[in-house]
Parts: sequence; structure tokens; C-alpha cells
Amino acid sequence: MIASSFWLPPDISEHGSQIDIIIKYLHWFMAILFVAWGSYFLYCLVRFRAGANPKATYGDAKAKPSKVAEIVVIVIEAALLVGFSIPVWAYYRSEPPTNADNPLTVRVVAQQFAWNIHYPGKDGVFGKTRPELVDEALNPIGLVDASEDPAAGDDYVSVNIFHAPKGRDILVRLSSKDVIHSFAVPLLRVKQDAVPGMEIPIWFKAEKTNEEAQEMMKRAFELPASAEGAEAERFIKENRLRVTMADYGSVPKGATLNAEHLKTLIAAGTTSVELAPGFPVNIQCAQLCGLGHYRMKGQMKIYEPEDFEAWYSSAGEVEVFDEDEFDDE
Amino acid sequence: MSSDHHAHNPGFISKYVFSLDHKVIGVQYTVTSLIFLFFGFSLMMIMRWQLAYPGEAIPLVGGWLGKYLVDNNGVLLPEGYNSLGAMHGTIMVFLGVVPLAVGGFGNYVMPLQIGAPDMAFPKLNMASYWVYFAGGVTMLSSFFVPGGAANSGWTAYPPLSNIANTVGTYPFWNGQTIWLLAMVLLITSSLLGSVNFIVTIMHLRVKGLTMFRLPFFVWAQFVTSFLLLLAFPPLEAAGVLQLMDRVFDTSFFMPSGLVVSGVVQEYSGGGSPLLWQHLFWFLAHPEVYVLILPAIGIVGEIIANNTRRPLWGYKTLVYSVIFLGFMSFVVWAHHMFLTGMGTAMSTFFQTTTMIISIPSVVILTALLLSLWQASIRFTVPMLFALSFLPMFAIGGLTGLPLGLSASDIQLHDTYYVIGHFHYVVAPGTIMALLGGVYFWYPKVTGRKMSTLLGHLHFWPSFVFMNTVFFPMFMVGLAGVSRRLWDQTEYVQGIDVQGWVRMSSWGAWGLGLAQLPFIINFFFSAFAGKKVDANPWKATTLEWAAPSPPPHGNFAEVPVAYRGPYEYSVPNAKEDFHPQHIPDSQVV
Repeated sequence: MIASSFWLPPDISEHGSQIDIIIKYLHWFMAILFVAWGSYFLYCLVRFRAGANPKATYGDAKAKPSKVAEIVVIVIEAALLVGFSIPVWAYYRSEPPTNADNPLTVRVVAQQFAWNIHYPGKDGVFGKTRPELVDEALNPIGLVDASEDPAAGDDYVSVNIFHAPKGRDILVRLSSKDVIHSFAVPLLRVKQDAVPGMEIPIWFKAEKTNEEAQEMMKRAFELPASAEGAEAERFIKENRLRVTMADYGSVPKGATLNAEHLKTLIAAGTTSVELAPGFPVNIQCAQLCGLGHYRMKGQMKIYEPEDFEAWYSSAGEVEVFDEDEFDDE
Repeated sequence: MSSDHHAHNPGFISKYVFSLDHKVIGVQYTVTSLIFLFFGFSLMMIMRWQLAYPGEAIPLVGGWLGKYLVDNNGVLLPEGYNSLGAMHGTIMVFLGVVPLAVGGFGNYVMPLQIGAPDMAFPKLNMASYWVYFAGGVTMLSSFFVPGGAANSGWTAYPPLSNIANTVGTYPFWNGQTIWLLAMVLLITSSLLGSVNFIVTIMHLRVKGLTMFRLPFFVWAQFVTSFLLLLAFPPLEAAGVLQLMDRVFDTSFFMPSGLVVSGVVQEYSGGGSPLLWQHLFWFLAHPEVYVLILPAIGIVGEIIANNTRRPLWGYKTLVYSVIFLGFMSFVVWAHHMFLTGMGTAMSTFFQTTTMIISIPSVVILTALLLSLWQASIRFTVPMLFALSFLPMFAIGGLTGLPLGLSASDIQLHDTYYVIGHFHYVVAPGTIMALLGGVYFWYPKVTGRKMSTLLGHLHFWPSFVFMNTVFFPMFMVGLAGVSRRLWDQTEYVQGIDVQGWVRMSSWGAWGLGLAQLPFIINFFFSAFAGKKVDANPWKATTLEWAAPSPPPHGNFAEVPVAYRGPYEYSVPNAKEDFHPQHIPDSQVV
């Protein structure tokens, strides 16, 4: 994944390539400017050192090239601003999907330190919520009873795992229960602060499923020489969030490597394995939100559209994603 | 006016402690803020251990840090990490760089450069330092209160800052409340200073020293003072409002219906968390220029002196600085693109942000053009000033992807931001300030700092500054959020762990690289080589005063006959024309 240019993570969204293009153009522009300035700078330091030029020249140097350079800088900045940044932002912020686009609309309610994904259910209408009904374990968003609001009856809340279809507009109504968080999904080029007291809409479209994203992110990893010792321990620790991308004899596809696996693989003469992140599409909090900020982590689970429908029609009431369970698999 | 206390002979306390002399106050500011800088940096050296080796006990100092920062094994706690982060930012900005750049250099150098015997309001000046000192002590005391120091970031965004640090004898005796009280003191100190600077520059210039004969450094301080005067009051007001929220349960920044850890919060509600951000950044963006402008001023002085030619485009530089100061008031919401901003607002703020980059480019270009056909002396202050140019350029350039709202989507609140603003403030501003210390040290003490130790300080600092901050761009591009106690919770965090460790080792190296400076700073005061009043063969008025200047500064009141940077004038006896020497004596 580091191989993709400018260290950016792979992009699996519809709009992300436009953001990436701005980042790439800008960095080329910055690099050229820096090298040009830097070369001139170093030339001056050598050419006009006191030893080589004991007497300085009084009066301003001819500055025509610098004026040209400044105008070029202004023109390029203006072009990036008007030609790229403003239109991309306008698309990203001002043109929400319409009903004709048939978006999947969900509410995301951030809290210390979890993401609550609220689905409206089959009726497509969100049930009412009230702060005093919040129960951290059973009712994290304070959804009312179906007797009070029939729309709440088929609502569904998923904690830390955001099920979503590929290729369909997703409209998120983002809010927070307590402090300011920021909903960031680097692979989808999405980031938006979740501000308590406000409900902020954001929208995006995923163009890859989790499996396809894993394919993009898989890399070969050299196995350590021995299944025991510090090197093996470090290997296991560094790859605890990755899974195998193929069957390796008794180690099946989708396994998180442990000491046992290493022993089997090394005994079988395997020297490298292909691994990819178990959950490739992270949701992370980007705004300091308290002591658990670092572990306020969710996962997107992006399906083929028909698989998503199958999941959605069978979903229960509250689902909690716990990565520790995933780790133990 | 100050000249009337020439006559009496003050005792030790009023001469060196509660002094009214701008030079003593300048030195007090300088030494205090350098200590705070090193302290604030030390906090970061501790944090960098947790980042490089997550969950491992902190070596050497781990056992000493106390229960609010580390667990029983000496591993940094997440809340401890947040405390150190908040205090690092606060201390470096408000107790370190601003007091050094403005309180230290501004106080000491500016009155000398305009030929004044002292500041216009010496008592206000003394009050400014002591209020700053009280603010600093208050800020540091918060490490020892129940729950430890403030841990909601130097930006202190509510509602987090309103609900944080609520253990112990909340709401008074806790980290965030003390942070707010300390900030009120620090802001008050800056306001007292800024009024004094403006009046002094307007009224105490010597005969002949017109505004366009002022050294560039004085212009930088002049614009900086206006920024402080106009930008700080909103934050002071905001700080008081947050204090009310915490202590008296108002809800200026608290919306209705908050549920924290399953408990409905009892606030009347109706407040706006974003109001704080607007008030905060209305200060904090001009604040960036408060940090940079004095540094640019220092670099200008050192470059003119060591290139032995006039600063290129002096008037262009002055107009650029004024324009920069003005524009800095209309870019603040580029820190807030992702708070739910629409297209119209983001268009306005990214356009102003691109516009403000233009005077920055002009300033950098002017300083670079000053090297053309120069006769460059690579003195220690010049090394620092020269290193400022490329590193400030990196800081400025990396502001572009953050200033355009579209690319900001991916880079906002990642390590890219940390890399960007540190390049502006640390490798940029702090290197320039250190250069300033070497440059004016002979004026303050009558002795030069050791050149050998200066080189031992400069070269490792230059290398390590880049080792610390450059990797952050890669870490940020990879999508690692800032302010994470343990970024290896994420796959992309594990992938960039090599860069993270490089930053950490760089930071520890940078810490070591300051030892030659510390030794040099204290030992040269009595063991340094004695020099005359003008060892750098400089032109501006501070070099007309004896070194160190006596109370009242000048043996006789100087008169300014020309602009500040008349170096290498054709047909002159020497390659510099001091401002105070009449034409008849130099040609």
C-alpha cells in the first residue's frame, strides 16, 4: 500500500481520485519550487561567499526572474484553487445524492469512544431518539420504543461496524452524543467532524468491496527464520491486524498468523506469505476526544449490493463489533 | 519617562528583579522563555518514546513522572499522553516562542534600534513580564493538581475541555481550569506588551529615524504588536466564557442533550462548540504570524549584516509584512474546513489563504535575492538565519495542500499538519530565534559566544530538526491521525512505524544538540571573548550603544542620517555606513 504514489493509502471511493490528483499536483509543484529555490540558494552560498566575492555589490539585483517566478506561483495557485479545489469541494459538500440516486441513508452517532451506526430499517424512516433513554450497552443512541414511535420498531444499530453496499450512494447524517469527534475513513477519502448539537450530512460512494480492497492492499511478507524468539514475536505483533490472502497448507485463507501458524509454515518450508489488513477500511477518529481517542476505531464492511441487501434484511437489533474477538480468530 | 531614574542608584531587587529597564526585562523574558522552551520540548521527548515504542516503560524518567502521567510500570498513560500533548503545545507557543520573540528580542533590541532610552511605559513593561511569569508558574502548577494538567489539547475544544479534568475538587482545583486561568494571565501580559511596543515605536524614535528608516526587525515587531493587540482579546473573552462553563455551569459552548458515558449532562444547553473554535482561531491564526514575523525580522537583520549589502527590496518587505498582518485576520476558518462548512465559506477562506501565501513568497524571495552579489560571511548567527530559509519554505509550501479545502479532507488532523506547522515554528522560527541569540549576545554581555560550540549546536540541530519533522509528512499522507497515544492500533500506523521511530530518535538527538548551546549561553557570559560595541560591523542603532548598554542606553542621543542597511556603499571608507554617523565621516 505504501507503493501507491506519495504514500497515500489506496483509494476505493468515487470522488477520491480528484482529491489525490490535487495532492499529487501540489506536491510536484512544491517540489519544483523547492528545488528551484534551493538550487539558486546553494549557488548563491557558493558563488557569493566572502572568499569568492570579497566585495558585495551595492544596490538591488535585477529582479525580473523573481517577478516572473512570483507570477507563475500566483497563476498555479489560482488554477489549483479555481480549477480543482473549489469544484471538488462543491461536489463533496453541496451536491448530496437525491432520492433518484436511491442513497443508503444512515445516521452515525459518535461517542467516547465508539461509532454508532443507526440504520432506519425497511421503512426507511429513523425512529426518534431521546438522550435520557441512552443505555450504553443496550440502547447506545437512546432510541425510543416502537409503541412511542412505530418508525423505531425496525431500526437497527451497529456499533463500530458500518455495513455498506458498493456502488451505491451513501448519505451519512453525522452527529455526536458528547464531544467533537471526526469521522475519518482514509481509504474513502472521507473526513468530517462530528459536532454535538449539529447533524452534518456527508456522502460518498465506495467502488470496492472489502475483499477487493484487500486485494489492492495485499503484500508479500518474509517470514522470520524461526517460529520462536524475538523476531517471530515481533512478526506476530506487527501483523496482528492482517490476514493471509491465500491458503498455505494447513493455514487457511483469512487467518491471523500466530505462533502455531508460523511453526507450521516454517516447517513446510514457506518463506513468505501474502497478507492484507483483516478489515481494510478503517474508520478512525481524527479529532482529540479524550483518553480513548487512539482506540476510537470502527470498520467499514463493504459488500456487493446483493450481499448487502441480504445482510440488511436479516439484521438484528444491536450489533457490537469487538476487534479483540477478531484478533482471537 | 524613563530617563529620570538615571540619577538614583537602585538596589539589587529593583535593578535585577523588579526592574523597569527594558534590557533587564528583555533578558528576564529571554532566559525564562528559553527555559520554558526546553521544558516544553522535554515533554515531547517523553511522548516520542510512547510513539516509537508503544506500551513500553519510559526509560530513565519513567519512574519519576507520577500517577497522572504513567502507570505503575512507568508506561505513559493515554490521559498522560494527552496532558503532555496539551502542555507541550501551550508551553511552546504561549510560554516559549512568543515571550522569546516579542518579550525577549522585542524588549531588548527594539528600543535600542530606534535610539530610545527605554520603552514608553517601563512600569507596564515590568508588569507584562511579571504577569507572564505568574501565568507560567500557574500553568506549571497544574501538573500537580488532582487529575494532572489539562489534557484537551492546546486548542481546548469544548465540549471535551468542559467535561475533562473533572476529578478531585472540580470545578476549581484541576488542570483545565488552571489552564484557563493561566491563559488569561498570559494574554493579559501580551496585551500590556503590545500597547507598549506600539506607543514606543510611534513616539520614541530618535531624530531622523523616519518609519522607512526603521530596521526591518522593528517593522516586524510593530506589525506583531498590532496582531497581539487585536487578536488576543477574543481569546481572552473565550477563555473567560469557558471558565464560566466549567466553574459556574453556564453553557456558552455546550449544546443541549449531551450524554457523556451514559449520563445525561445537566446543562441548560443551547451553546455552540463551534463558537469556541471561531474565537480560538481568530486569535490562533494571527498568532502564527506573531510567531513568524519577529523571526523573519531577525533573519532580515542577520542576512543584511552578513551579506554586506542592503536587504533586497526593503520597502517591498515592509509592505508585505503589513499585508500579511492584515490578511492573517481573514484566514482563520481554514482550520475549520471540516466542521461542516459549505462551499461559499470554504471558497472565501481558501481564497484568502492562497492570497496570504503571496506576501510570504515575496518575503522569502526578497531574502533569497539579498544573497545575490553579496559577500557572505558564514558566522554562526548567519548559519541559523540561512537555515531558516529552506525550512521555512518547506513549512510554507506544505501549507498549500492544507489551505485548499479539497486536499485538506485527506490531510486534516493527520501528522501532515503537525509536520507543516512545526516546519514553520520549530525549524523555521526557533532556528531564527537561536540565530538572534548568537547575533545580539555581544550587545547584551559585551562578549561573544563561542564559535566552536555554536557550530556544535547548529549542525546537529539542523540535521535533527529535519529528522524529526520530515517523516511526519509521510506518516500523515499515509492517513495516521494526530494525537493518537498508539498509532499502531491501525494497520497504516504499523506500516509507518519506521518513520515514527526516526522522528523520535531525531527528537532525542535534537535534545542532546542543545547542550552545547546551554553551555555556551551561560559560560560565554563571563568566559566569552570580549568584543567592542560593534563586533559584526553592523549599521543599525543598537550597535551605536556601548556593550552592554548602560541604563538609558546611549552615551549621547544618536541621530539617524540614513536607512538601516547601507552596506558596501561605493566609494566609502568601510563596507558599512552606520545609521548614526554623519555623511561627512563615512565617505
